[in-house]
Amino acid sequence: MKSHIEEFLDIDKPKDYYSNLVAEIEERNREHHFITTLNSNIASEDRGRLPFTVKANICVKGFETTAGSKMLKGYLPPFDATVVERMKNSGNFSFLGETNMDEFGFGTFGLNTETPAKNAFDSSYVAGGSSAGAAVATAMLKYHIAIAESTGGSISTPSALNGVVGFTPTYGTVSRYGLIDYANSLDKIGVIARSAADARIGFDVIKGRDAYDTTCSIEKIEDSKKKKLFLIKELMDKAEEPVRSSFGRLLDKLGEKYEITEIKSSIIEKSIAPYYIIAMAEASTNLAKYNGYKYGMQYEETNKRYNNFFTEARAEFGSEAKRRIILGTFIRSESVKERYYAKATQVRSMVIKEMRKILKEGFIISPALPIFTPKIEDAVKLTPTQNYAMDVFTVPPNLGGFPHITFPYDYHDGMPLGAQLVTEHANDYALFDFVSEWEESFNYRFRYNLGEL
Amino acid sequence: MDNLEFERLLKTTRLKLDEKEKIAIQKDIEEVIGYFEKISEIDTEGEEKAYHPIKVDPRFREDSVSRFADVDMLKRQSKLQDGYIIGPKL
Repeated sequence: MKSHIEEFLDIDKPKDYYSNLVAEIEERNREHHFITTLNSNIASEDRGRLPFTVKANICVKGFETTAGSKMLKGYLPPFDATVVERMKNSGNFSFLGETNMDEFGFGTFGLNTETPAKNAFDSSYVAGGSSAGAAVATAMLKYHIAIAESTGGSISTPSALNGVVGFTPTYGTVSRYGLIDYANSLDKIGVIARSAADARIGFDVIKGRDAYDTTCSIEKIEDSKKKKLFLIKELMDKAEEPVRSSFGRLLDKLGEKYEITEIKSSIIEKSIAPYYIIAMAEASTNLAKYNGYKYGMQYEETNKRYNNFFTEARAEFGSEAKRRIILGTFIRSESVKERYYAKATQVRSMVIKEMRKILKEGFIISPALPIFTPKIEDAVKLTPTQNYAMDVFTVPPNLGGFPHITFPYDYHDGMPLGAQLVTEHANDYALFDFVSEWEESFNYRFRYNLGEL
Repeated sequence: MDNLEFERLLKTTRLKLDEKEKIAIQKDIEEVIGYFEKISEIDTEGEEKAYHPIKVDPRFREDSVSRFADVDMLKRQSKLQDGYIIGPKL
């Protein structure tokens, strides 16, 4: 499939291209709320460049960056994140705006923020989270690329629900400098695009060592092709029957080229609890720095004593953030830290070993979610653990830092269905090749093509 | 989780909840901790702890003095007095 980025760069654009695009986005944004900060100055920039957006937890100098939280309202970063700097310096991309998200990345459906993004295909459905706006923007704009971030599935889930390609790289291949941290040992910056070729172009721009992030240490990216696809039985059993049967039709097609085997693994299906334990423990320390006067929201009552001031200012966190701060702090308590946190790091070790063994032989493939896209009115009724269970397919590769990609494979009642493919550490390029091959016989559908030429 | 422990956590985290929020979040937290208990069924005897998903091979940058970005831009967003950020009383 031809790259939209290359196509855009080759076409002469009318003088008012960017200003028309901004107007179209403003109109659509009133219903779908996918952009939180729009760079209206883009109209004065070089028309040859492709617009890119960044998730609202990645710092862009001088543009309000809130991570979806009222606590960071008004925060203007004094620097660009490394990924933003690399996009700007590549000469091919212009910053268009920041995209909506669950507060600090805490959510599966994009609903944990003041004004949630809505699905690009139908605004009565969830956009998916936490990179909700990034996926919706990609499904809305014909020529665009989104820089997003995943901790436990925040690229895969919204990409699947909006019918676009969502790529999460191997942990340690893309710098996190300038990312507003959720969980440092799990956060990965990746790309959402309208084709595998475009996702690869974005990845090539942002990857590579960075002196400002010592965990960004993987340099060599492989392209080791696999001929086998593995299904994990215990995970597949968690998918609802209609999802399993739609996904089965994808497997029938892939079976013409790949050897597909269902295998058992009792440890991989247990990834959700250790993932949330580690994520909440790390999040609770990261969120301690938001105190009402240093970053973003300025709490006026500076005549109050520090503890009172701090406690009152932090009332601005949303419910899910409060839950995770309390739980994360509990998990790190002296009396239980061995029982939860230490044990979770050991289970992570077991999951990584098991997945490495499988991924050496082939890819792991699954649906991206165990259910079809829910309506917003239904998703808001889910309890926290029902929400966490929606991450059954996305959490294992995220817990283990394995690269994975989501791609659309069919449509059900007009809504896209997404599959997820996982490979070995540092074998990221093989994912693009697999999806590019799939795209040769697949027709993407979009409701909008803003900025079409 | 008993009320005493829940109140201790609220104090530690500097979070104040109204009564309605307190009841809802305490209930949710009990549900989530019950869910986390699943981990106790896994035999992890002798397993290493994975603090990162990959082996990190850090290269440290040169230890030299440099000015961080635009510090003034950050300061301009806060209330200032004589060039210092105004915070609460200690």
